[in-house]
Amino acid sequence: MKKLLSLVAGLGLLLGTSALAADTVKIGLMGPMTGAWASEGQEMKQVVELLADELNQKGGLLGKQVAVISEDDAGDPRQASLAANRLATQGIVGVIGTYGSSITEATQNIYDEAGIIQVANGSTAIRLSEKGLANFFRTCPRDDEQGKVATATISKLGHKKIAILHDNTSYAKGLAEEAQANLKGLNIPVVFFDALTPGERDYNTILTKMKAAGPDFVFFTGYYPEAGLLLRQKKEMGWDVPFMGGDAVNNPELVKIAGAAATEGFLFLTPPLPKDLDTPEAKSFVAAFEKKFGSAPKSIYPVLAGDGFRVLAEAIKGANSVEPAKVSAFMKTALKDFPGLTGKISFNDKGDRIGEVYRVYQVNNQGDFVLQP
Amino acid sequence: MKVPGRIVAGALFAILLGAPLVLDRYWVDVLNSIGLYAILGLSLNIILGYAGMFHMGHAAFYAIGAYATAILNTSYGVPVLWTLPVSGLAAALFALVVARPIIHLRGDYLLIVTIGMVEIVRIALINDVFGITGGANGIFGIDRPQLFGFKIRQPQHFFYLIWLFAGLTILLFSLLENSRFGRALNYLREDEVAAEGSGINTAAYKLAAFVLGAGWAGMAGTVFAAKMTIISPESFSFWESVVLFMIVILGGAGNIVGVILGAFLVVGLPEVFRDFASARMLFYGLAMMFMMIYRTQGILPPRPRTYRLDGVGEGS
Amino acid sequence: MEQFFQQLTNGLAVGGIYALIALGYTMVYGVLKLINFAHGDLFTIGAYLGLTLLTSLALTDHVGGFLGIGVLALMVMGLVGIIGILLERIAYRPLRESPRLSAVVSALGASIFFQNAIMLVYGAKFYVYPQDLLPKSPVFIFGMPVPLMRILILVASVVMMISLYLFVQKTRIGTAIRAAAIDQGAARLMGIDVNRVIMIVFCIGPALGGVAGMMVGIYYGQINFTMGWNYGLKAFTAAILGGIGNIPGAMVGGLLLGVIEALGAAYISMAWKDAIAFVVLILILIVRPTGLLGERVAEKI
Repeated sequence: MKKLLSLVAGLGLLLGTSALAADTVKIGLMGPMTGAWASEGQEMKQVVELLADELNQKGGLLGKQVAVISEDDAGDPRQASLAANRLATQGIVGVIGTYGSSITEATQNIYDEAGIIQVANGSTAIRLSEKGLANFFRTCPRDDEQGKVATATISKLGHKKIAILHDNTSYAKGLAEEAQANLKGLNIPVVFFDALTPGERDYNTILTKMKAAGPDFVFFTGYYPEAGLLLRQKKEMGWDVPFMGGDAVNNPELVKIAGAAATEGFLFLTPPLPKDLDTPEAKSFVAAFEKKFGSAPKSIYPVLAGDGFRVLAEAIKGANSVEPAKVSAFMKTALKDFPGLTGKISFNDKGDRIGEVYRVYQVNNQGDFVLQP
Repeated sequence: MKVPGRIVAGALFAILLGAPLVLDRYWVDVLNSIGLYAILGLSLNIILGYAGMFHMGHAAFYAIGAYATAILNTSYGVPVLWTLPVSGLAAALFALVVARPIIHLRGDYLLIVTIGMVEIVRIALINDVFGITGGANGIFGIDRPQLFGFKIRQPQHFFYLIWLFAGLTILLFSLLENSRFGRALNYLREDEVAAEGSGINTAAYKLAAFVLGAGWAGMAGTVFAAKMTIISPESFSFWESVVLFMIVILGGAGNIVGVILGAFLVVGLPEVFRDFASARMLFYGLAMMFMMIYRTQGILPPRPRTYRLDGVGEGS
Repeated sequence: MEQFFQQLTNGLAVGGIYALIALGYTMVYGVLKLINFAHGDLFTIGAYLGLTLLTSLALTDHVGGFLGIGVLALMVMGLVGIIGILLERIAYRPLRESPRLSAVVSALGASIFFQNAIMLVYGAKFYVYPQDLLPKSPVFIFGMPVPLMRILILVASVVMMISLYLFVQKTRIGTAIRAAAIDQGAARLMGIDVNRVIMIVFCIGPALGGVAGMMVGIYYGQINFTMGWNYGLKAFTAAILGGIGNIPGAMVGGLLLGVIEALGAAYISMAWKDAIAFVVLILILIVRPTGLLGERVAEKI
């Protein structure tokens, strides 16, 4: 039985890797094309395919054309493990994605066992890169860094009674707890700490309860659909406490949902927006994206997926190989200060992006996101 | 020539067992999912199919089994497969406690209560109840199972684990179907009052069906935890329960072969439809609707029980 | 105490929406004994159609906020009603004589279909209703500011409940509906066109769901293609709580569910809100197995 099993396993591996010798360089893209985060995934696909087209017009990689193979993870761990297994059979060098941390986590072992590089674009949970996986990278920063920036911002603004609200997702709760612990270290009292249920429309109950606790500053670590509703309903209640959000609120839809009047003065943390990058790469990318799809990318995470693609392409070129081990080694050691769309990119040994990525933004009365000095 | 159904089933099963030799790991993993859902569907079939109780919260029991395995393995180092009986017992015990007061509810009222149950379990898991479920992160780093010193890790390995479990389930449940217990459940599904009148303790039988189905789902949870190595509350949402419900009803409530076919259709079709890209779930919804319309009793409804009457009517 | 009343009105506002959706749910159930899982998606369709008509016709610019919205509501009701009739013809009629749960699976299939159809037509992004449709200034009740839209939603659900109740109790068609609800075969023998009755029910139920979707859009602003599933489930819970098949029951169940959620979140735990609501539901059903206003008839399955 054991023999048969290993024979079967061997055969599976053979099928999995035989496609490497083909005449295109294949790069996978795994994102939530359907489900609740479909807007992120569909834009990820637009960004990566646009960059791949540009690369192919310039002659591709190692003299071959680049083919992007996308799979839908539906924002669901089980779907994601199927998608990962499907990608693992297609002879890809690496995969870009995905958005949610728990979704990425469900696929890490599959890619690792298949010897495929994974460059996550939105998965900020700390533990993902603490497992010692050789081929895991991410272009987004980690939650602990965001927690630090959040606390520093709060203490700089001089607020004394903080309310922290999360949505019980892995990401938002992690960030909320990180911020809570940091604030405790600075002796800034947290007067309210609780979770809302994402996907609802009415958050008046939560706002009423939070208001009763009397905070002078609110930090919401969840996502933009809820943040928009919170801001709007807060305004309707006539409560003018300052609000700050984490990087999951960074989406122009936020202003549309809440209205410009309700978002004015709202602070949030995020990797810099494409419009605030003065590098030629970013400018030409945004222009090309606008030309093709009619508007600039709405969310930063698809752009980070684009950075993942560009880094991977650069590493394949630099290592002059499509062998994941060589490409991965190149990314960790030789690739330094690569001019990404979202700033300079280098990776440490764990595959995390090095450097301060987070910036503080504020929404002005026009609903524009303004970079704070 | 009439080929006995048993031989056909055996032959199909043999072909299935050879599948990993020709399929790539993606399709093997799809078959793994189907196998797992077939086991879960069969366990739900006891409650929904045989006993006819409207139960749309089966993922709760599955979750409890999976979490029992995850906690025992990651916190106490118990080997994964050893947790199998514990998971089954934990889920069965939970079912016993929860089902006791609600078992008398009828039809749609039972349906909403079971939906409530699965939601309460999911919310409890997200809120890190008793500090042991890991909240929304879930539990990660679950060991791969070992069988006779062999570490099961590739989809191809899991294929044999899952489908042998499924085979065992089919065997045991077909024995159950024709036992006194199975016949009693059918009776109370068809006519509860008459069953009660014939001396069947309906409440006890209903409860027993619930507990048995739950325990089996709990054991399937162990296999799921071992396969994923990470579990989180999202994997056990209300929608999972809905999927299981569709498997049983679409396949043919009360028929083992029907339920397995249901698992192939409900779990397999979205994979077949992947070529439709973002329209795939649209076609999936349509397929569900039309299959149900064309086979209104389910694709393979159970045949009426037939009995040979030896020695009757032959005269003396 | 002020917080308590504030939370109570929060609960009533949410409950009013649940009630509005539950009315359509319970109406369909009353006649067909069908749990229409696609009802939530008809609600979503109403929200999207409302927005499309609003922006393309610009009615509110010409005839003012209230009248414009009133006309739009009628149009949305008409369109969603037609979709409801088609849904019944295609997905449910062939299953009328089959086991009840077969129709439930067909409804689930329809729900998946609708949800993805909306996604394909409109895209996966969030849509936002214009903010300035109705005057923003709140109305003062006992000195407490209450947003105008909240009052409108509550009034709309009460008005719809009463007119639906009167329609079912007092009119000829209503009598036919009640007859068909009790025994379709006997109703047919009495010369009632049961198919027509079901068609009417499947026009009114979805129409109510659709207009509720539009009101949610106007009130909260933000809509997306997955929102119906959650609202549908809440409405089903509300209908069961009140006693499914019973029109005043849907109203009571909806308002009660909203209040339980708000008070549970305010005084016990926000994160456990939905679990608290389900625990209360289960406790109520243990004491009253057919819901608050449900009739205590022995159901023969």
